[in-house]
Amino acid sequence: MIGLKRKTAGLLGMGLALALVAAACGGTSPGPSASSPTASGQPTRGGVLRTAISSFGFTGGFDPTDEYLGLAWDFYGAMLRNLVSYKHIGGAAGNALYPDLATSMPEISPDGLTYTFHLKSGIKFGPPVNREITSQDIAYAFERINDKNAGAEYGFYYDGVIKGMTGQVNGIKPVSGIETPDATTIIFHLTQPTGDFLYRLAMPATAPIPVEVAKCFPTGGGYGRFVISSGPYMIQGSQDLSLSQSCSQMVKNPISGFDPTKQLILVRNPNYAQSTDNLRSNYVNAIDIQVDANVSDIFNKVAAGTLDSSLADPPPTTTLTQYLTNPSKKPYLHSDSGDRTWYITMNLLTPPFDDVHVREAVNFIIDKAALQQAWGGPVFGQIATHIMPPIMLNNALTSSYDPYKTPGETGSLALAQAQMKLSKYDPKHDGKCDIASACTNIVMINRNYAPWSTMEPIVVQDLAKIGIQVVPRELETGAAYQTIDTTKNNIPIALNAGWGKDYADPFTFAQPLFGSAALIPVGNTNYSMVGVTSAIIKKQGLGVTIPKGLSVPSVDSLINQCEGQAGATRQQCWVNFDEYVMTKVVPWVPYLWATNLTITAPSLTKWVFDQFSGYISLTQVAVNNNISVSSLG
Amino acid sequence: MRGPPQAAPAPVPSGSDDWDMWRYVARRLLWVVFVLLVISAITYVIFFIMPPVNPVVLFAGKSPTPTILATVSHQFGLDKPVWEQYLLFVKHVFLGDQYGWPGLGFSFQYRESIRSLMAARLPVTASLALGAALVWLVIGIPIGVASAIKRRTLVDRLAMGFALFFVSAPVFWLGLMFLWIFWFRLGWAAGTGYYGFTTNGFGTWLNHMVMPWVVLALLYAAFYARMARGNLIETMGEDYIRTARAKGLSERRVIFRHGLRSSLTPIVTMFGMDLGGLMGGAIITETVFNLQGIGQWAYQSVGTGDIPAILAVTLVTSFAITFANLVVDIVYAYLDPRVRYS
Repeated sequence: MIGLKRKTAGLLGMGLALALVAAACGGTSPGPSASSPTASGQPTRGGVLRTAISSFGFTGGFDPTDEYLGLAWDFYGAMLRNLVSYKHIGGAAGNALYPDLATSMPEISPDGLTYTFHLKSGIKFGPPVNREITSQDIAYAFERINDKNAGAEYGFYYDGVIKGMTGQVNGIKPVSGIETPDATTIIFHLTQPTGDFLYRLAMPATAPIPVEVAKCFPTGGGYGRFVISSGPYMIQGSQDLSLSQSCSQMVKNPISGFDPTKQLILVRNPNYAQSTDNLRSNYVNAIDIQVDANVSDIFNKVAAGTLDSSLADPPPTTTLTQYLTNPSKKPYLHSDSGDRTWYITMNLLTPPFDDVHVREAVNFIIDKAALQQAWGGPVFGQIATHIMPPIMLNNALTSSYDPYKTPGETGSLALAQAQMKLSKYDPKHDGKCDIASACTNIVMINRNYAPWSTMEPIVVQDLAKIGIQVVPRELETGAAYQTIDTTKNNIPIALNAGWGKDYADPFTFAQPLFGSAALIPVGNTNYSMVGVTSAIIKKQGLGVTIPKGLSVPSVDSLINQCEGQAGATRQQCWVNFDEYVMTKVVPWVPYLWATNLTITAPSLTKWVFDQFSGYISLTQVAVNNNISVSSLG
Repeated sequence: MRGPPQAAPAPVPSGSDDWDMWRYVARRLLWVVFVLLVISAITYVIFFIMPPVNPVVLFAGKSPTPTILATVSHQFGLDKPVWEQYLLFVKHVFLGDQYGWPGLGFSFQYRESIRSLMAARLPVTASLALGAALVWLVIGIPIGVASAIKRRTLVDRLAMGFALFFVSAPVFWLGLMFLWIFWFRLGWAAGTGYYGFTTNGFGTWLNHMVMPWVVLALLYAAFYARMARGNLIETMGEDYIRTARAKGLSERRVIFRHGLRSSLTPIVTMFGMDLGGLMGGAIITETVFNLQGIGQWAYQSVGTGDIPAILAVTLVTSFAITFANLVVDIVYAYLDPRVRYS
């Protein structure tokens, strides 16, 4: 999912903060995380959760079929219910799935190709639809994903997985691999065993959608201002949406509680029955999310008590320093695993990184501790020693696995030079990259603001120690990504990259980052070009060539192997995958498993982090602010 | 038979001045249209042909597939040749599009018509710009006049100290300081955000606008004070001022009737340009005070690659400036009879 990478303003603010904060927070452990009361008293029902964001930054207009922004998924957690879902809590427990609309976990056929669900009765859509949710409403959500006009941004999780789903269908048509024999039964037929299929069914795009409203929005993004609730909260004013009006009229009258430029106000869905839901607590009466472009103002309002919590913007330096150093404030700073890895990516096609020994030498020479300090210290994340954040592997592979371990994670010239000596680019065997044409003037893409700009001299100097002279090119976030995701640019090395999970299975890292299926000319996410072949280059028009005699490693078979498994076998398979990529392919220097920082006010009496979305758990937190719903809007 | 004596023809009012003026206005309006076309073409080239970021990739998700890229490209109308896109854009501006007239397309970011987004944000920016303009005129010009009249006195030094301070103070700093002091510490002022007077009442609207007005106005007031002072001092040294004094006019009459009128003419020009520019949004003030106006929108749109929004804001700002320039030139001719419409 897309985190904050598009929030330039927020990141700029954070950047300003980092240098000062580094001194204040080095070695400081954050406040309570995942789930904790932050003030005296037990959580009670009532009040309004008041929060703000500098910009929503939606990628798909908040239409559940399209939207790929983690923050939006946080909101959907309070608005939509899926066949299976999470408890919206923090830590590894927050990644466990439970039946939600379904009466129980599915019946899975022995070959792993058929999943049968039965729906609970008595669960209704919110106003103005007000009718019981049926299996056809879930099938309709998949038909929307399959409609090429809808622009489902993560339809690839279903295309080619469910029979009949290709994402190429023109219009809403039945999907051959989805059966709805009656209103409370839905059966999925898969093309191949898919061990993380249940995670995919917990994605917001697969939540039931009422055709009565969604039919008016055949193209991507349109339904976003008309999302009908199937969960505990709905957009304020939903009841005023008239179903009797024509589509041309409806599109002109979006639900009043949501204006993507200003606010999203969620209130209780009167049709929701708590008795049908044992995943969500729903303490607050309403959730008021305001857009405030001034990030400092958001945190000032939290400090003043006019907001109960920050949402997704990182706190400015001064604010963060106060909360790290003041014992009375520290409990209100929450640092939780963002399930995101920041890394340096190396291109397997470009010298000198087309030599695995050079890539290993780079791993040994980088001072990861200094990079962590450049971010602002441990509060911003743990030093990454391999690909997947530990929670993704249910802590089966933690930072204790460190194939490029150096004392204090500060880098080791001796170890790096030992690797470099094995490289073809070190004919003198002096531990340095010696061939000028390959080892000098190497373009390194980076972002043009802190912490990336702060990290840059560290990386440049470290690489210079082993004879690699890079020339940094600093760009704005979007431009930096687009430079490295356009394959014909053939960028040798980049410092700007990071990746967060879509759901808690390593497949969401493995396939897009290392799978050859991800290799496309524009929008490529396999920046290292792992698994590229001449045939793929030709077929996709990638505009690159493979150096003569080079055999580019592929991990496609490993990905397919793991994807076909389930349970503990699957987990071990992904552990092996991570180790293989780190030691045999070596496409990255992973350096930070990032945390997400949230600051709350004393009025927030129960803090819970939602591990799935990576933000505050809207259905599990409680407030005692006595704000009434009638005061909103 | 002679008929009744014909009435002598009434003196034809000399309409040549009026005619000149209307010709001038028409010519200038055509010029405005031309300027806008040029600006839109340049903006188009910058953002559509060589965009800093490709909006299709930006709005196609984290792991786009070729199918999604093609769908988004089609939805955004970016699958057509650029010249065709531009001609369509111009056509829609003049003739309207599916969302009405003028047709400005739809926002990639918000999936909504630019017109409606603009309509929601223009009142915010207009509230800020007009209110601030009033404040800076009320503060700046009297200070400048007082400073010029009381030249080299304590009043002059204090006035110029005021000007120097606020010219030097960055608006973002001033805004944050005002917020910290008057909202966070003292609780005297309302916090940030825009509350329209039609929906929240005049008092609430005013409460939330006072600080942004003052913060934005202080910078301009300082400029205007310095300019008014300089102009008035220069004017007061003119021969006709000496003549007026020699005729025995009171000093008050000399200053306000003769000196001020002429010394303020250049300020009218400056005022028009400043106000026109502000209608395109005061990005920093709008951001600091969380006023969701045109400037903040432009800033966010650049960050999110929302090209139609950038184009629309550019056009509105250009129009505001060129139109304000036109109005100023017309007013200028009234204020200074030496100026002719030629």
